Amino acid sequence: MSLHYSIIIKMTGLISLILGISMLPSLIVSFLYDDPSVSFAFCLSSIPLIIIGFLILFLTKNIEKSFKIRDGYFSVTFCWIAASLLGAFPYYLSGTVASFGDAIFESTAAFTTTNCSVISNLDLPLSIVLWKAVTHWIGGLGIIIFAISILPALGINSLKLGSPEADSPNLNKVKTKISVSSKTLYLIYLGLTLLEFILLLFGKMGVFEAVINTLGSVSTSGISTSIPSISSYDSFYIESIITVFTFLASINFMLYFFAFNGKWKTVLRDTELRTFILIIFISFVIVSTTLFTSGTYSTLNEAMRIGIFQTVAFSTTSGYFITDYTLWPTFTLSILFTLMFIGGCAASTCGSFKVIRFVVLIKLILRGFRKRLHPRSVVAVRLGNSVVSAETVSSITVFAMLYLMIYLFTALVLSLDNLDMTTTLTASAGILSNTGIAFGEIGPTADFSIFSPPIRLFISFMLIVGRLELMTVLLLFTPYFWNLEK
Amino acid sequence: MDLNWNVIFRVTGALFIVIGFSMIPAMIVSAIYTEPDIIEAFIKTIIPSILFGGLLILLNKQKEGRTKVRDGYIIVALCWILASCVAAAPFVISGEIANPIDAFFETCSGFSTTGASILTDVEAMSKGLLFWRSFTHWLGGMGILIFAIALLPNLGISGQAIAKAETPGPTLDKLTPKLSDTAKMLYLLYLCFTATETILLMFGGLSPFDSLVHTFGTVGTGGFSSYNDSIAHFDSAYVDIVISIFMILSGVNFNLYFIIIRQNLKGFFKDAELRLYLAIIGTSTLLIGIYLYVAGDINNIWTSFRYSLFQTATIISTTGFVTTDFYLWPTFCKMLLLLLMFVGACSCSTGGGVKVIRILVILKLIKRGVSLKLHPNAFVSLKMNNKPLPVDTVSAIASFVFLYIFTIFAGTIIVSIDDFSLLTNFSAVVACLGNIGPGFDLVGPVMNYSIFSNVSKLLLSFIMLAGRLELFTIFLLLTPRFWNPNR
Repeated sequence: MSLHYSIIIKMTGLISLILGISMLPSLIVSFLYDDPSVSFAFCLSSIPLIIIGFLILFLTKNIEKSFKIRDGYFSVTFCWIAASLLGAFPYYLSGTVASFGDAIFESTAAFTTTNCSVISNLDLPLSIVLWKAVTHWIGGLGIIIFAISILPALGINSLKLGSPEADSPNLNKVKTKISVSSKTLYLIYLGLTLLEFILLLFGKMGVFEAVINTLGSVSTSGISTSIPSISSYDSFYIESIITVFTFLASINFMLYFFAFNGKWKTVLRDTELRTFILIIFISFVIVSTTLFTSGTYSTLNEAMRIGIFQTVAFSTTSGYFITDYTLWPTFTLSILFTLMFIGGCAASTCGSFKVIRFVVLIKLILRGFRKRLHPRSVVAVRLGNSVVSAETVSSITVFAMLYLMIYLFTALVLSLDNLDMTTTLTASAGILSNTGIAFGEIGPTADFSIFSPPIRLFISFMLIVGRLELMTVLLLFTPYFWNLEK
Repeated sequence: MDLNWNVIFRVTGALFIVIGFSMIPAMIVSAIYTEPDIIEAFIKTIIPSILFGGLLILLNKQKEGRTKVRDGYIIVALCWILASCVAAAPFVISGEIANPIDAFFETCSGFSTTGASILTDVEAMSKGLLFWRSFTHWLGGMGILIFAIALLPNLGISGQAIAKAETPGPTLDKLTPKLSDTAKMLYLLYLCFTATETILLMFGGLSPFDSLVHTFGTVGTGGFSSYNDSIAHFDSAYVDIVISIFMILSGVNFNLYFIIIRQNLKGFFKDAELRLYLAIIGTSTLLIGIYLYVAGDINNIWTSFRYSLFQTATIISTTGFVTTDFYLWPTFCKMLLLLLMFVGACSCSTGGGVKVIRILVILKLIKRGVSLKLHPNAFVSLKMNNKPLPVDTVSAIASFVFLYIFTIFAGTIIVSIDDFSLLTNFSAVVACLGNIGPGFDLVGPVMNYSIFSNVSKLLLSFIMLAGRLELFTIFLLLTPRFWNPNR
């Protein structure tokens, strides 16, 4: 077996340590505000994790092994599953959830930046809410590192598209090396977080709430402190900040890197970014107009304000809600449903299919038209000035097919719970795209408690599958992976 | 624009004549049942149609000229749209479907063998018009076979090239070099199926009228019935099973039937597409049957299998007959049916949908994609029936699937303007694009499409035709590229 167990153990140690330390803020909050049972739960979770983490790292300090592709896939999936499992303890031990299975659900939903819940109880202890938000934030950071640093190392070229088209000689170096260090990414992410936090404080939001909302928007997860979510603040300023920062977190993080190096032209010319903005803009116009003309909202102002918020929420797969949109005209719902499938930009914290793949798909369709007229023509797919390689096209095609198959499969399994078709179909979309909200019986409250316990575990698994771009997890299920000969 | 108008007009003229003449059987039925108003409506359509068609042909004497790809597309689109328009005339003239858009929807549904209806009470319609409605299914089914097997390859349009390339052994167009010979053999086979099923249904106690109407719906995989409760009306397991069998048969690649005739049965069963088709039918019937028995309201295991076989067969063949209100079924069963709606029947059959062969290629693509992730530098070629799949074919299939999905989303969004539920809109588009007929919710098995606005009905009619003609054929006409002589 070519997997290196030592690496796995080392990673477990690292995850343990990180999680344990991340629980400390919640620990403090729980001492200050919550029941002793909750504080006890956090003690019991965080301290052992920190100790075990240190121990493992100390013992494996001198082990260095090289990473093969198989190790890469296994490690990433393992990290997410391990983190979800270890992060589940506070929920379980504090009695906030009914079973360990539910704790896993909550934890997985958090790390995959989905923000859906099986807890119907609205009165969660503050420390638990903080822990949720923190895990969302870590999940968001993890996915950026995954997308920008790890995937290329595994030789997965589909996200090479994440780097904008090059028109300057220096950029070629950046594209081919995985040279954007994780450090830079942490800094950008941290920067966005701090900026939003400060801005929210200006909006007269309490410190605790500002923290939660910041952690939720930068990770495009949609977590907030109360239900009905953001609408309770009734402040256009706050809604704008959250909308803007969810959007900012949904842009390809490589673009920030280019921006800091002064290469603004590249940023502005990026096809994916422009398409993303265009999609949001068109959807916003249509949704807001419909909301106004159908009488759902009496003033154009209100229609626009709520329209932009919900449109961006669905488009960035954050899952924020400001109103019960299930009452909206179906025309708007169908658009929002479609937006969920497209998602945000690659190499950002959002989920789903990704705009760049969507762009390539459209170009493939157009190329199909051309071939029907000129059967012998050979045309390459272009993005901006550069050509998309055949293997990338192939990779995206496979991804699209896989996404379709997995979506239908998820819907099929979910239907075993015998909920109505709308709920099942839209919930599957919400799960795979890591949005968290849906239509039908799930609606804006993201309350997945209507599903049975075994299905909840299935959903947890599918959340991770969707988060990790499908292939990463599914590979582990193929005989190919485990067969040394191949 | 360098179009061969001569050929376009000649073919269109021929079409008018053919449609005109094909209304005669329906007119005879009207005579049998003494419906003078309907006869009058028919005559008012038949005579102008034949005259006009004759005129077009006479004015455009056969000329030398090449028929190019663009001509082919225009001819195909014109034929289908005009056929639907002409066929709609008797309905409007007689007043039985007063709204011309409704009538157009109905005939589009007929020719595209969809089977979606705007009628709220089928049984109130005259026998002549009911016969004509179902006859359009029969004509449409035959038309598509000719289109797919004979016409497309000869126009150099590679939309169905994969079927040509992948059927083992000789394909029909290789068997008979002349287009007319190919067509003749197909008609014969089609007639055989029609005659056999009609006789079998009459044995089951159906009147000749009912037998014919429902046979047309089966062999064309259309789904129009003369009764509001569709096949449930007969309440007969014999009828259910006969129709199920013929629906499944009509969903098979017709090229394969010639393999049986020319070679043997073994060659028939070796086809990868057929095997997947049968496997899907078997699995679905089994799963739904068991689930219905265990979790549904049905107490008898044979009854539940009878229903599950019928509904599986009807959906996957994209026919759309109904023996029970499957919208009341458990969600798992409904979801399976939705999957079947996507899959569709085999290529080169009268069925619609994405087509089993494309699903097969998708699965192979995914499998290869997975192994490529582990060994990025390996080269694995895709094979079908032991023959390699050309890259062009794979690309064509991929772009087809993407366009299919895009159409579903775009269609759902536009139809949503009518403000019915998301499920209604979504399933209506899926059911029309796949030429199935019934969907879920407000377009479910016991409902109809009368609820939609005129705009939506037109859009859905268009979607039906698009789905029938493999999408690109019709959508191409909407692109500026098509009309630009320089590209």
